[in-house]
Amino acid sequence: MALNFDAQRSQLMATPSLRFILYAVVALMLAVIHVVFLGYISVSSVTPDLLLLFTVWVALVEGQFTGMIAGFLCGLLFDVVSADVLGANALAKTLAGFVAGYFWREGFAMITIGHYRYLLIVAIAGVIHNLVYYLLYVQPMQIDFVMFFLKYGIATTLYSTVAAVFPMLYVNRRRDQ
Amino acid sequence: MRRLIDFVVRFKNYITLSTLVVMSFALMSVGNLSQLGGFRAVIVGSIGWMQSLFAWIPNPVALKSENVALRELNLQLAVESARSRQSMVENASLRKMLELPQYTDYTLIAADVVGKTTTQLRNYATINKGTEDGVREGMSCITDAGLVGIVIGASQHYAVLQLLINRDTRVSAKDQRTRVDGIIQWEGENFLVMKDVPRAYDVQAGDLILTSAYSARYPANIVIGRVLEVGEESNSLFRRIVVESAVNFATLEQLFVVDTRSSAERSELERRTEERQRQRSTP
Repeated sequence: MALNFDAQRSQLMATPSLRFILYAVVALMLAVIHVVFLGYISVSSVTPDLLLLFTVWVALVEGQFTGMIAGFLCGLLFDVVSADVLGANALAKTLAGFVAGYFWREGFAMITIGHYRYLLIVAIAGVIHNLVYYLLYVQPMQIDFVMFFLKYGIATTLYSTVAAVFPMLYVNRRRDQ
Repeated sequence: MRRLIDFVVRFKNYITLSTLVVMSFALMSVGNLSQLGGFRAVIVGSIGWMQSLFAWIPNPVALKSENVALRELNLQLAVESARSRQSMVENASLRKMLELPQYTDYTLIAADVVGKTTTQLRNYATINKGTEDGVREGMSCITDAGLVGIVIGASQHYAVLQLLINRDTRVSAKDQRTRVDGIIQWEGENFLVMKDVPRAYDVQAGDLILTSAYSARYPANIVIGRVLEVGEESNSLFRRIVVESAVNFATLEQLFVVDTRSSAERSELERRTEERQRQRSTP
């Protein structure tokens, strides 16, 4: 049964069209989970950015080009479901996908994700993402961007990096099996 | 042609990045979701429905905070109840003497908060009342404590509110004691800030801040909060007044939508005056 499931899974992952449909479904689910449930684990209004983790994942598995497209679409989806200004998250996540794509190595995706390196990549992509997002965010407000970013941008990045431990451990465990 | 194709293939990542960045800025220039009309109503309705399905799950952190807030409120109300009984008698006789017009009785629509997006500083809330219940964009929302925000989108059964602690909030406000006017904004902290108050004007810590009648968006004389700290803005002629919101947004569960939209005649007059002044200022 387990072997049959693994065979079906590898067949699914080998077919690009099915894989991209799966990515779309996962992104949609993560966006809904973020809006509906993440308030329960927020710390001073800061939550991990699940779609950022997913964008980094896609960029490491598929490469920079697909990572950017995934980032743009994930960001746009999140802008729509979270009633944010359309394009703000799309821009930030496109850049995060672009940065994460630099760490793509063909055939080494699962090794990278199952390693501490994944946390570092999420942290770097998170800093770029939040730098851009909060720069756009503070535009209508007359406040010091640096202080604002240090307070919220870094906190969000740290929380997202902590949340990235779960996919890292999952992939690590799968590899060991 | 071949060279062009080679160029595109070679730099496809940078070309894609540039295209997506331009697309993102183009979307931002289109504006917020309110300009997407019916599409937005579908999203608001779907997310609101999903949030209402899970609204029963208790949030222990919020419950604890609510408990503390309710105890404090109970204490304050007990004191104020005695004072207000006396004030009501005085007020009635004074009004009669001065022949002041009575406050307008607003129509209130009670609603439950079924979802809050206070994560990542977005600060919106979804309520379980929509256009079928009479809720429309532009209506204000209040609780017994004070002003909550404004409706920015509504579907048939749900509506999304922009909370007071939102970066786009601008509320015309006044000091209850001295009638000094200013603009209430949120600057990302836990508190609100009252701006555009000259240094010479009298505002003190503890003063109550209310909505002003100057605002076309919010009803007048609704409590916004209490002055916490009065400072001076560096390199400016104005004061920096920190205001603690009267509403505890972390524990917001029920509210009232106030059915008062700005008078069409007033809005039209203000729009025409603004247009005329703009024409005068252009050479």
